[in-house]
Amino acid sequence: MAEQPTSLERFIQGILPENPVFRQLLGLCPVLAVTNNMKSAITMAGAVLFVLFCANVIVSLIRNLLKPHLRIVIFTLTIATFVTIADRFLAAYLYQMSKTLGPYIPLIIVNCIIICRCEVCASKQGVITAGADAIGTSIGFGLALSAIAAVREILGTGMFFEIRVLPAAWPDWVVMVLPPGAFLTFGLLIGLVNWYESFRTAKAGRTQGQTT
Amino acid sequence: MTANVKTSFFSQAWLVLILAICFGALLAGMQIALGPTIEANKTNETLGRVPELVFGKDRAQELIERKQTVAINPQSVGVEKAGKTLRYSVFETRTDGELAGWVVKTAGQGYADKIEMLIGLDPNIEKITGIFVLDQKETPGLGNKIVTHEWRSQFLAKATDKPLVTVKGKASAANEIDAITGATISSKAVTDTINATVNNLRKPLVDKAKGK
Amino acid sequence: MMNYLVDIFLIAVSAALINNFVLHYFVGICPFVGVSRRIEMAFGMGCAVTFVISIAAFISWAITTFVLVPGAPLSQWIAGFFVPAETAAKVDLTILSYIVYILAISSSVQFVEMYVRKFYPPLYKSFGVYLPLITTNCAILFACLTIMANIVGVDDPADAWDLGRSLVLAIFGGVGFTIAIVIMAGIREELDLCDVPEPFKGAAITMIVAGILALGFMGFTGVDSGLRKALTPKAGNHALIEEGPSSPMGAQITTNHHIG
Repeated sequence: MAEQPTSLERFIQGILPENPVFRQLLGLCPVLAVTNNMKSAITMAGAVLFVLFCANVIVSLIRNLLKPHLRIVIFTLTIATFVTIADRFLAAYLYQMSKTLGPYIPLIIVNCIIICRCEVCASKQGVITAGADAIGTSIGFGLALSAIAAVREILGTGMFFEIRVLPAAWPDWVVMVLPPGAFLTFGLLIGLVNWYESFRTAKAGRTQGQTT
Repeated sequence: MTANVKTSFFSQAWLVLILAICFGALLAGMQIALGPTIEANKTNETLGRVPELVFGKDRAQELIERKQTVAINPQSVGVEKAGKTLRYSVFETRTDGELAGWVVKTAGQGYADKIEMLIGLDPNIEKITGIFVLDQKETPGLGNKIVTHEWRSQFLAKATDKPLVTVKGKASAANEIDAITGATISSKAVTDTINATVNNLRKPLVDKAKGK
Repeated sequence: MMNYLVDIFLIAVSAALINNFVLHYFVGICPFVGVSRRIEMAFGMGCAVTFVISIAAFISWAITTFVLVPGAPLSQWIAGFFVPAETAAKVDLTILSYIVYILAISSSVQFVEMYVRKFYPPLYKSFGVYLPLITTNCAILFACLTIMANIVGVDDPADAWDLGRSLVLAIFGGVGFTIAIVIMAGIREELDLCDVPEPFKGAAITMIVAGILALGFMGFTGVDSGLRKALTPKAGNHALIEEGPSSPMGAQITTNHHIG
């Protein structure tokens, strides 16, 4: 059996090198939908953190009992339960935000990130590693959401976390908070991350000498 | 081969069943714990606005400080129109047993989607005592501005004898409302909805006020 | 009857074009980026999604209306064996909605997979791994959630959506998804021959093109209210001719009829 990554490695990988949004291109629905402003983005990232952490921990605890045929059903059941809990919790204590996020909280159930992490990490490794993986991935997810939300909110409304940061003379680029702006921002940021990665690996290749 | 699949299916199914029961219990517990809070959130969304809409911000604050009870009686009023019955949700507001005003929950087609709003009316449906936009999906930065306090305050103390009209310049006549620059349709949608609702409910509510 | 047909027509147009599932609600992006390389594959995926979404919508509408909502017939009947009738009428199982929907979707996909494998083996092979992945397609769960919102979230139980409206939303949502994915596939087939900068190849350029597509589809805003006015007999109220950025004529016509 190949050597499996440690908790720390899982944690760090999730943040940038294997960022679920920009590198793996998973879970794209909330990335475009809730990044109108920073508040929604942070709330969504928090909800995903809760669901991913709980799901990973539970799946990791029962990993030895899982059989090939029914494991996807078990993953789905676990994730759906925790998403329901997160959704009801938001409706009780953050009612306005729950109404703004609308159907996108329940859509965490079909978010590829969570099923992927359960499949790849939690069903194979211990609780601590699964937990670390969950936290690392969620931080990476949160960073990606915040990056897009920051661009869209600042350019689209001149505000950041609903505090005015651009001068009043700035003509709000309303398209940024509408669907086209979401796609464009996301596409440009993927391009940027890809360019940075190729730049970084090219530099690493040069400093290490001839590496294939 | 089939026998193997069958036995292994049942031997795995027990895990799914146990998990289903555990999660079911967890969700039931959560429903019992959070259900009331969520219901309260939903009703307060409208009920909480009623005093301010009927009395105006200052007087509503005064009533709260003097701990005067405001009795709000939600009712459903049906209006026959073109062979269909339109049902309106009406909140009858009384202080010390005396009718203080009405708040009507209504909706109309805006630029992008339905605009839901609350309209405050005086006991004899002669004046508008305030409006509040509950839900809208208008263009951010343009039609969105119908929720702002400045724009809505135009409706305070407007008489209902003549229909409200939106104008692009400065509003001069008593029944004119200043439209939002660049969002004429959203502004018109609000005034049209108010006109239609007041027209439909004038007779039933005046009858109710007299009948009581 | 006429009102009902107008309603259905407007739900259909809204789901397919104006509030397109992919370009307005951002659901179904993963296959949109992943499967839109060839038109035939894209069209096949669109049809599969439409098929699954209809089955899933039917199952979720049925379960929501008959089992989950407070006062639903089936849950009332079963609870009636254990608790007195008044408590049974208040049994509210909506907390289980999401679990029920996702299990309904998984079963629908399994069913479709078995059907396609049995009757269209070459199609099954060409789909590969993408067929089971339809389970995680946000568009299907989104359709179920919209139907739920229109049954559970309405103040007046008489306004709750019936089967016709739910199915129309689902089917035309799938049609809208197919339209978007086929357009994207056509564009990407051309993009393959273009000189795209290295960092932008693949997902990035797809997203940018999708942004321009979304901008184009925004032109449909307001079409549904215009259609509603055109199709509803003048029952009174008011008539408005839309002005603003979406109007091709840029006309400044506004007519306002009030009842006396």
